[in-house]
Amino acid sequence: MELPVINETPAASAGGCSSHSCGTSDDQLGHLSDEIRSKVENHPCYSEDAHHYFARMHVAVAPACNIQCHYCNRKYDCSNESRPGVVSELLTPDQAVKKTMAVAANIPQMTVLGIAGPGDPLANPERTFETFRRLSAEAPDIKLCVSTNGLALPESVEELSKHNIDHVTITINCVDPEIGAQIYPWIFWENKRIKGVKGAKILIEQQQKGLEMLAAKGILVKVNSVMIPGVNDKHLAEVSKIVKAKGAFLHNVMPLIAEAEHGTFYGVMGQRGPTQDELMELQDSCSGDMNMMRHCRQCRADAVGLLGEDRGDEFTMDKIESMEIDYQSAMEKRKVIHEAIAEEMHSKRAAKVEKAASHAEEPKLNTRPVLMAIATSGQGVINMHFGHAKEFLIYEASPNGVRFMSHRKTDLYCGGDDTCGDGESVLQQTIRSLAGCEAVLCSKIGYEPWDLLEKAGIVPNGEHAMEPIEEAVMAVYKEMAAAGKLDEATTEERATA
Amino acid sequence: MALQIIESCVNCYACEPLCPSKAIYMSEKTGHFRINPKKCTECEGDFKDTQCASICPIEGAILDALGVPINPPGSLTGIPPERMAEAMAELQAH
Repeated sequence: MELPVINETPAASAGGCSSHSCGTSDDQLGHLSDEIRSKVENHPCYSEDAHHYFARMHVAVAPACNIQCHYCNRKYDCSNESRPGVVSELLTPDQAVKKTMAVAANIPQMTVLGIAGPGDPLANPERTFETFRRLSAEAPDIKLCVSTNGLALPESVEELSKHNIDHVTITINCVDPEIGAQIYPWIFWENKRIKGVKGAKILIEQQQKGLEMLAAKGILVKVNSVMIPGVNDKHLAEVSKIVKAKGAFLHNVMPLIAEAEHGTFYGVMGQRGPTQDELMELQDSCSGDMNMMRHCRQCRADAVGLLGEDRGDEFTMDKIESMEIDYQSAMEKRKVIHEAIAEEMHSKRAAKVEKAASHAEEPKLNTRPVLMAIATSGQGVINMHFGHAKEFLIYEASPNGVRFMSHRKTDLYCGGDDTCGDGESVLQQTIRSLAGCEAVLCSKIGYEPWDLLEKAGIVPNGEHAMEPIEEAVMAVYKEMAAAGKLDEATTEERATA
Repeated sequence: MALQIIESCVNCYACEPLCPSKAIYMSEKTGHFRINPKKCTECEGDFKDTQCASICPIEGAILDALGVPINPPGSLTGIPPERMAEAMAELQAH
């Protein structure tokens, strides 16, 4: 089957407001066909809209890997750390099924079960497929997905298509073996360890072949790419074009995470990750060609909960063993809750369209764009206390509307205590993470952070508690415009507006 | 002649299904994978390269019959051992 529509939006000029996620009238999936849309609209990892409402979980059943990446270290397991490839507890398929059903019963908004490691799921076919087989039979209301480096993908496509799996993520960092050799030191292929360009070439061929085979079967493919400055940053726009042409429906460019204490090649060798600006610039330059994902949280291979939160501690195996789960009745409850959420999402979407229509009738502002940070715990509204936020969502407001840009973690990948850090207070670190933003919208904020934010040139705002994010951002933007704070739109910006 | 898995093994399971002699087992005693020396053939007659040592991601975790690491430091990660030592010393100092 051919994927009907991948991207109908005309290729806009690069940069600026070039993506379909732009504007308040549309969401990130607005351009997709109804068929794809219905598949992803309750998937938090694929739909920016859905990630405010629905939760996901990963089960760590797949420890083995068939390649080495320079951003990964298989020795590392710190419970304070949150990044891909890290897990605390390896599960058997039987434990994974129990855990999934326990989470589904206790967090009814959990719609998606993914297998993402800590190794490569397809390098552990027995454990991975046993888990999928049982879940598709015993918990048919859960969407299943898998992410892979792609090396074993072509041989797995047939099996994948049997198990209710309609989403696959392939990590593709390059299409050029010379670049690949700088990212992948070796692969294990046909009973040999193959190093350098030769290994990278095989990996790339397998990834591309697997992508084509999945697209031909109508399985949705998201491509993840790690942005590594000086290695593949200039190359990823080409990767984006190629994977889109081959049928991927979403591209997720993520920043490299590299710290010496992780013991990875890039961490130890001092390879830096991209800055927020570099990442956003690359995402913008790819978005003319491709639907870009900007809300990824690069979660652990055993994460549980809404994106950006991890409730894994509530569901350790010793706790699960003592839970009695009646899945049939849980499934009925889940159905009611899912329908209520879907209704809420639809009515919010309709309200957004209406708002945007009235916004379009107003005289167009001629003001510069502004970044704002939002504290939210979900449901698409401003409902979190500044001091409780572990991350902020970053939105851009401009005369063209409001669009989601990225998220910023306040604790920079580590939830450890003060002894881990370099002495900077949590508050100072949080404020530093908001660099570039001119306002922060939250439900409440204390006196001390208020003062420090103002000193840092960021306006704190607690007046829009419980309001929908986009509406509140636009309201604050208009207030700023009315107060004459946004008049310095440069002539250059006017010319391209 | 037999290979040996030592305590730096991280239990990633990659080697276990590859062994043509089914010599690799999880040791309750040590908590990591080990090789039964009576069963290990060093893949003689089955594969050109020893399979466990060809997929193992951990440098130094598998020793040859003479007790020498098949994948010495730096050989898999590409991190020069002296750079690794330097980085670890820097981290310790903090």
